[in-house]
This record gives sequence, structure tokens and C-alpha cells, in this order.
Amino acid sequence: CISLDCSLKDDDSGDHDQDQGSPKDGEKEKNEDEEKEQNTSKKKMVVPGAGEHPLQYNYTFWYSRRTPGRPASTQSYEQNIKQIGSFASVEQFWRFYSHMIRPGDLTGHSDFHLFKEGIKPMWEDDANKMGGKWIIRLRKGLASRCWENLILAMLGEQFMVGEEICGAVVSVRFQEDIISIWNKTASDQGTTARIRDTLRRVLNLPPNTIMEYKTHTDSIKYVCLLLFLFSSPAFLSLQLIP
Amino acid sequence: MSTSRQLSESRAIPTKTVLINDTTQLPHDYCTTPGGTLFSTTPGGTRIIYDRKFLLDRRNSPIAQTPPAHLPVIPGVTSLNVLTENRKNEANNHVNNHDGKPTTGDDAQFEMDI
Repeated sequence: CISLDCSLKDDDSGDHDQDQGSPKDGEKEKNEDEEKEQNTSKKKMVVPGAGEHPLQYNYTFWYSRRTPGRPASTQSYEQNIKQIGSFASVEQFWRFYSHMIRPGDLTGHSDFHLFKEGIKPMWEDDANKMGGKWIIRLRKGLASRCWENLILAMLGEQFMVGEEICGAVVSVRFQEDIISIWNKTASDQGTTARIRDTLRRVLNLPPNTIMEYKTHTDSIKYVCLLLFLFSSPAFLSLQLIP
Repeated sequence: MSTSRQLSESRAIPTKTVLINDTTQLPHDYCTTPGGTLFSTTPGGTRIIYDRKFLLDRRNSPIAQTPPAHLPVIPGVTSLNVLTENRKNEANNHVNNHDGKPTTGDDAQFEMDI
């Protein structure tokens, strides 16, 4: 699958429509090893430590960045998703969060992803393939506060949609930032409506902020269309692709 | 209401009806339980629910200060120093703010040579 720099419509958070697959398996296994207050060595799962407040789910922080400037191709597509670490309690969450740069201070084309443990922040994952996301575009200056409120609501189970939440993403882009929350079943309108209402309640967004729901399959269809067009002989003959 | 002698009068409970046309007109704290969530029961059974304030209050607990083990150090992304926000810039109200002495990460209480 040819990778695309979606410069035509670089809107998406979680913009992993390019066929990047999963993190290298070796790295993944190593990275899952951290954050064990109590050593459950075989399972490599994090657990709350003594005296800590457990979360309903374990979560994993990921970070990704795209090298700016270069047009993307299969080989040079620089976007890597790295696991930062997993946590199982409120206190473990803060240990990570307090040692991570705020989104508003990230440079370049960068994303933080916070997903339930076991769900990769890409739509190929089983949990995501029938799902979608609410996306909210923010002018510069708001991402840090909104991201924090979003993830606190997610970790605190404020969305009340059972198992539907998959994770959240904050995307730093050139002139705007985007936050999004992913859920498993795009067609479940009751769930998506409840998520939307919770977002309004917890995020304190500026008036006239637009929330948009996108299914991942819509995004996939869009990319496939672009691939089709870009690979057509007529387009290639224009010699726009280096 | 009977006209026989009564020690007190009864009245209907005074009510006020407010018509709203859109969910955006709901008060911010409509139907919330203090410290709780919008819903009084948890669909699907007991869940672990924390409100924002509770989570923020745990931030300064001693357990939460040290960097996690095996934190990947990505320059410009992660740091072994505690990064605390300047909350005034964020226009957030937090009761944990101490007047006069900001507890910023630059104080280097946990500064480590990387």
C-alpha cells in the first residue's frame, strides 16, 4: 500500500491510514515491560501498586511524529508510533503524565495517543475497525487544557458507554490542533451521542466549536480513493511523484 | 382543602418551569451528583468512576512524583524532570495552588542528570 502524506486534507488525528501496521513486535514486547509496581513477570501486565487508586482499565500512552517537509512514500514515511508506557492506577498515570511535555509545547506534526491496554491506536486493530471517532479542531493554545480534561474524563469513566471507548488522541498540526476520542461501534448512535454530550460537558469548549464524527471506514475509503487516483497512469505521467 | 379548623395551611410546592430547546441550554451541572457523574446509576454494573477534581488531587501524592520505570526519554516529549503546568496560563482553578510559592519543576527537586 503506498503511503500518502495527506496534504490534501491533513485533518485527521490518528492519521495512521497509511499502511504502517503495528509497531515492531520486538520493540512492543520490550516496551510493555515497564511500570510494574508488583512484578507479575509472566503476564507483563501492569497492576495498581499498594495504596494506589485503580482505574477501570489499564491504558497505554503512545507517541508518534512525522518528519515534516518530505512528501511521504512507502519507504520514507517517517511516522513511528512508540509506546511510552502503560499504567493501571491514578498515581501511575500521573507519573507518566507529569513527565511528558504538554501537547501545546510539542513541535512538528506530533500526536499523543492514550488507548486502553491491548488496543493499538490505529484503525486496523480489531477494536477499531468497526469504529469511529469524534474529532474537535482547536485553535492553537487550547490543546493542553482540552487534552487533559479529555483524558481525565476517559480515565475517570465519565463517558458511561460501557466498553465502547477505545482511546483518545491529540494531534499537533501546523495551524490547529485536533483532539479525538475513538469508540468501537460507529453505528451505535446512542453511544456516539452520549460521548458527544460528555465531551461538551467536560471540555468547556469555546462557543461555536464544531464536533465532527467520522467512521474509520470513511477515512479508509478516502485514502483508497486517493491511492487509486495517484496510482493511475494519467496521474503518474504527470511526474509529480519524485 | 377542607374548611375545618387547621393549625397550618398547606400549599402546593412552588415550581418553576424553564423551557429549553436544545441541550446546550442545560446548566453546566445539570443532574450531577456532587463529586459524581451525570448518571446516578452505572449502566452495566459497578464501575470505577473518578471525577476530575479527585484525579487532579492525586497528582501531588508522593507516589506520583517519580518518573515511571523504563520511561523512554524522547527529547522534546518526555522528561525525567517533573513537568508541572503553570496553571494560571491555563485559566484552570485548582484549590491546590499555593499562593506565592509556585511549585514548578524548574525548582529541580527531582532533577537528574540524563
